[in-house]
Amino acid sequence: MTESNRSHLSDDQLLAGLANGSDTVLEELYKRYFPMVMHLILNNSGTEDDAKDIYQETLIVLYEKVTTDSLELHCQLKTYLYSVSRRLWLKQLSMRNRNGNSLLDTEGVAEVDDDLTDHEARDRQFDLMADSLDRLGEPCRTLLEDFYIHHLSMQDITEKFGYTNADNAKTQKYKCLMRLKRLFFSVFKEE
Amino acid sequence: MIDNQKFTDWVDKWLRNELTETERLEFETLRRSDPVLAQRAREQQQLVKAMKTYGQRTDFRARLNRIQASLDMDAVREEVNQLSKVRKLHRNGGTVRQLWQTYRPILAVAATVALITTFGTLMLIRQYQSSHKQQEQYSMMRRDLQAIRRSQNAILQDLNARERALQINPGQVAGSGFLLSPDGYLVTNTHIIQDADSVYIQSTRGDIYKAKVVYADRKYDLAILQVHEDSAFRVKTVLPYGFEAAPSDLGERVFTLGFPREEIVYGEGYLSSQTGYRGDSTAYQVAISVNPGNSGGPLLDEKGNVIGIISGKQTSSEGATFAIKTDYLFRAISAIPTDSLKNNSIRMSRKNGLAKLARKDQIKKIQESVYMVKVFKHEK
Repeated sequence: MTESNRSHLSDDQLLAGLANGSDTVLEELYKRYFPMVMHLILNNSGTEDDAKDIYQETLIVLYEKVTTDSLELHCQLKTYLYSVSRRLWLKQLSMRNRNGNSLLDTEGVAEVDDDLTDHEARDRQFDLMADSLDRLGEPCRTLLEDFYIHHLSMQDITEKFGYTNADNAKTQKYKCLMRLKRLFFSVFKEE
Repeated sequence: MIDNQKFTDWVDKWLRNELTETERLEFETLRRSDPVLAQRAREQQQLVKAMKTYGQRTDFRARLNRIQASLDMDAVREEVNQLSKVRKLHRNGGTVRQLWQTYRPILAVAATVALITTFGTLMLIRQYQSSHKQQEQYSMMRRDLQAIRRSQNAILQDLNARERALQINPGQVAGSGFLLSPDGYLVTNTHIIQDADSVYIQSTRGDIYKAKVVYADRKYDLAILQVHEDSAFRVKTVLPYGFEAAPSDLGERVFTLGFPREEIVYGEGYLSSQTGYRGDSTAYQVAISVNPGNSGGPLLDEKGNVIGIISGKQTSSEGATFAIKTDYLFRAISAIPTDSLKNNSIRMSRKNGLAKLARKDQIKKIQESVYMVKVFKHEK
């Protein structure tokens, strides 16, 4: 295989590096299978941009699966990525009202239904969170992101946002969180 | 009551694992004791998790985009082309495999349908053949049955089978008959002699005499024959048996002599009913085994009195033979126009010389008066 000539990293090593957040491994992985996916998309009435989007989404599926669950691949990583890309592209094609029922396959296809169902649920949650944060507006959004996502301490936040003391910052954070909670759960609970 | 902000703070710390030991204990107790607070903690956990996932994904996207941006797209394109070429080379002028790849599902379906059709058809054919065979067996059986029924009907009514046989081969119909009087009058069944061109009687010794039909009564199925001016016929002085017109009792031991084949055949049984086929009061039902050819034979009781004339049997059940009662023989005889008898009345005797004889001696005497009736007909 051409791929293995260029790299010495095994599937397991790639997955471990991905979970650890290693940039070099991610780059390695990205480069290794992008041509394959691009080949698939280009051969099935897609553009290079489509290829990039589909490939990145595929990697997100893999990444989130690796970081949330313990990933057990029942096939080669290559086959897995190909299968996910293929399914995502089929979905994309059907959304564009094209006949996406028969792709010209070049690789074996693995069963990825469950993973994609999980992915769709995460997608919904992601979109909802993005929407909630957008509606929250500044400075709440940045404050919450700094605290909850980037794990800044209250002290850092007090300084960054120029609050007079940490208690003020805490009150502000509390109010922001309550608003976000309302925004998020007003939709999330309905689902 | 803890205030909301403080609780939210604790949840944050709990999620970040920043609670001190005492705080953690207090927090746990609170959560366990107050379901509302527990629910709020869960919601906050969920919210924070969603935020983290959001952050993680945004971050990951940024990383992917950085890689994408740094990518040498020309090299990637080159590789894609390479891939296509490799695939094509690999595929060996690969349209066949390409087509195979594309239409594999359709082919699979088609193959499945073909298989199902093939085996289904085979199965259907087999089933059809086997059922057909059964039908054949069945109809063959029925044909056999019909054949039997025909031959049984023969003695019941019209000797249909024999008639049918005659249609193929103009030959003889054979039945039995016996002397009414010593001077050559015999009785037999109408169904034996009907449509006859000529009638012959054959004795147990093999002597054949020509006979003519004096009278044929369809209603009682009785026919009177007379030996036709044959000087060779030895006129007897007296018949060994008498005729008993009075009704016989149920259970009466009876026997018969007849010609189901070329030899005279003896059969015995008992009287099982005062009425015949379908309640026919002119006949007895007798449990005696008879075969085609027994028709017209005498039915005698223990003492050797003629109590009936065998006429037929029921095909649907075993051992149900019917014999016309002697009473109706008398009625038939009395109905004969005197012209037909040429003024020679039939002298029937009630006298019976057999009463004290053993059965085999009775038979010896009786069989001389029992004749095979042979009938010749033309093909219809």
